Amino acid sequence: MTSAAVPIRLSHVSLVYEGGVVALDDVSLEVARGERICVLGANGSGKSTLASVVCGLLAPDAGEVELAGEHVCSDGRPDLEAYRRARRNLGLVFQNPDDQIVTSVVEDDVAFGPENLGLPREEIASRVTRELHRVALDDYAHADPSRLSGGQKQRVAIAGALAMEPDVLVLDEPGSLLDVRGRAAILRVMGRLAKAGTTLVHVTHFMEEAVEADRVIVLDRGRIALEGTPEEVFARGAELADLGLEVPFAARLSQRLGLPWTCSEKDVVDAIAGVPFGDRTLLGHRPDVPKASCPQMGHLISVEHASFSYSGRAQALDDVSLEVAPGVSTAIIGQTGSGKSTLLRLFCGLEVPDSGRIVVAGNDTSTKRGRKAVRRVVGYVMQHPERQLFAETVEKDVAFGPRNLRLSADEVSRRVNRALELVGLAGKREASPFQLSGGQRRLCALAGILAMEPEVLILDEPTAGLDPRGRAMLRRVLVRLRERGITLVQVTHSMEDAARCDRVVALDQSHLVAVGTPREVFSPENEERLTKGGLGIPRSLRVARELERRGWPALGDPLTTDELVAAIGETAGTGAFAGETVGTGTFVSPQEVR
Amino acid sequence: MALKISIGQYYAAASTVHALDARVKLWCVLTVLVAVFCTSNAAQLLLAAGFVAALLAIARVPAGRVVASVRPLMVFLAVLSLFNLLFVRTGEVVATLGPLSVTSGGITAAALYTARFALALVAGSLVMLTTTPTQLADAFDRMLSPLSRVGIPGHEIAMVFSLMMRFVPTLADETSAIIDAQSLRGGAFDEGGPVRRVRSIVPVVVALLASGLRHADGLSRALDARCYEGGAGRTHFHEQHLGAREVVAALVTAAFVALLALLGFLF
Repeated sequence: MTSAAVPIRLSHVSLVYEGGVVALDDVSLEVARGERICVLGANGSGKSTLASVVCGLLAPDAGEVELAGEHVCSDGRPDLEAYRRARRNLGLVFQNPDDQIVTSVVEDDVAFGPENLGLPREEIASRVTRELHRVALDDYAHADPSRLSGGQKQRVAIAGALAMEPDVLVLDEPGSLLDVRGRAAILRVMGRLAKAGTTLVHVTHFMEEAVEADRVIVLDRGRIALEGTPEEVFARGAELADLGLEVPFAARLSQRLGLPWTCSEKDVVDAIAGVPFGDRTLLGHRPDVPKASCPQMGHLISVEHASFSYSGRAQALDDVSLEVAPGVSTAIIGQTGSGKSTLLRLFCGLEVPDSGRIVVAGNDTSTKRGRKAVRRVVGYVMQHPERQLFAETVEKDVAFGPRNLRLSADEVSRRVNRALELVGLAGKREASPFQLSGGQRRLCALAGILAMEPEVLILDEPTAGLDPRGRAMLRRVLVRLRERGITLVQVTHSMEDAARCDRVVALDQSHLVAVGTPREVFSPENEERLTKGGLGIPRSLRVARELERRGWPALGDPLTTDELVAAIGETAGTGAFAGETVGTGTFVSPQEVR
Repeated sequence: MALKISIGQYYAAASTVHALDARVKLWCVLTVLVAVFCTSNAAQLLLAAGFVAALLAIARVPAGRVVASVRPLMVFLAVLSLFNLLFVRTGEVVATLGPLSVTSGGITAAALYTARFALALVAGSLVMLTTTPTQLADAFDRMLSPLSRVGIPGHEIAMVFSLMMRFVPTLADETSAIIDAQSLRGGAFDEGGPVRRVRSIVPVVVALLASGLRHADGLSRALDARCYEGGAGRTHFHEQHLGAREVVAALVTAAFVALLALLGFLF
């Protein structure tokens, strides 16, 4: 461990990649010992580059860098020996857990860093035990990391970095490829580390994750756009949205209602509950919801008592029956391992049920002929489909499918044009798919499937791993597809996305637990079961139910923020929230909590 | 279509074989392999089979796991024995079928080679099943360390080997995802003539290469962040020491080879 020097000091740092892309532009930053910093920014804002500079893996082109007490870079000239010394005191955990694990046994992986530092064996052993305990993986010391969940793998990576006892731990989007539960576990670990006095630099595009930080830095096009405590930064909601970030739900709601600014859902509920509501109680009133157009014709997909298990493993699906009507959008929700992805694979005929049957557009998937027919009807967008892009240009990649169908050149180009038009990439047809942004890459992969002109589009977590801008782009495209009458089936972890669909299918531990409209599935009767299964209900609904528990009249099960704001406004009577000083909100800053 | 790659997968258990120093284990198994390939009669094969079976029992590895780990190579074995059966032309002709004939020599050769190979495979897979890639890499590291003196990077070779083992399952998963995705987009992997099939593999290989490069990028970042600077100055978490267990293992191996040689003289 080095002296009491500032662990990280950057002054006027600039970095330009090949091709003139400016990643960092005159960035100055100082991190104090024990501080917890959160760097926010959309994709392409330079935040990952900043993480690399801060953990000593990338030297800037201009500016001064001081890391772990070493003057590693002055005026753009790196001192490689100093960098080597500094790196020994800097830890890094980044996005993809698979790339960070270098061995096939958990404890060996945690030991890898200390081995490289040349520590004696007893010291390594005690650090391995200590760090595995810290990330709550004591029982997994001898496990094979490739069999762990993404969240567990990421905790192994954190333990591996901590075992080197770094002065600073840099976390570069550690949760962006994880599910909700995995991300929550990572945040808990970070909370414990912060409490123990570890200096943390956390790079993310999830604003919710920044609430606990001491200081928030927002990057935009390589420059520091905003800087301050979470409440200072988050209070500037409009600017943040322009920078491609998503203001946390509680903050958005408090702003919409004109309440004092807060990031805590409990505070918002407290504040609203303190406002007297008018006499115009709306007991029993339910807002008119446009019913999903349910044509009377037959089902497009029908699943009859399907069970499935991967060879030699536990049941992945157990006696599941459901139907999907044409033109209807369906969300499948469930924890990791509940069988959602398996259900999608059964829909496309990639797997065949062990018992029961699946009929898609009149074709039974149990025969080879049936599966072939199904593939002409169904388009399947896997998780991270952009990882499968391969052609030199966007156009060629999208044309892959139509070409395989041996269509005429005219028809191929008509379909490619149409698909690119639909996803909004018509201007990028000559670009290499690898030069696109994350969101655009995913849209390119989606276009490749749309060019097959499927009747049903099946998507496995279409927004996972995208930044808010990418998520918004993708959602817009899905809305467009729905308007064109394409049947959509998507697996999602977001209850808000699920609430926007016509129907919701909830799976838990390979069983079907609920099917119906979002209101039916998220009904008060189901709430406990969903919460127990680790799923929960949409946030607006959660707030409404909490208000009802505190004596408010029924708010009519609002599923979106708009519906919630409208329902609250109507109930409380106009005027109550029209920007008047409400004065009941308690303002708890994270600083006080800490 | 799921690719099942289980070659070289570690099976955790508490056994003497697991605890054996990886270097000694490697040398012993190499010796056993050579010895098995020198067998020429039934008695020797029986002894070798008994010995390998005993090792499996001591290692507490379930037979199913062993079969699963050698299954991909069984096809190769079957083809090999078929070739022996049909193309070895020593001894008497037992049966003929058109231009092909099966001779007594062919039957012996097919049986002998198949049995040898199968035993060797099982013995080899035993090493992989009972030794973690880290231990293997450490063992190679030590065994190759004399090479470093003549300028060949022994440690780095071992490290590359270990990383390779680590990424085989990851890339296998990705390959099957790519094949699934492309076959849903009309990629013809199981239809059309050989030219069409071979051509359909090209996009898979390109996508796989791209993903391999992405992993390489991430991995190099991880190795740098964790201060990996080659073998110099590195210590080892796992102890490598030669004790009574290793001496016993060497003696047992020697006894096996001696017995095998004796059986060769007797029959």
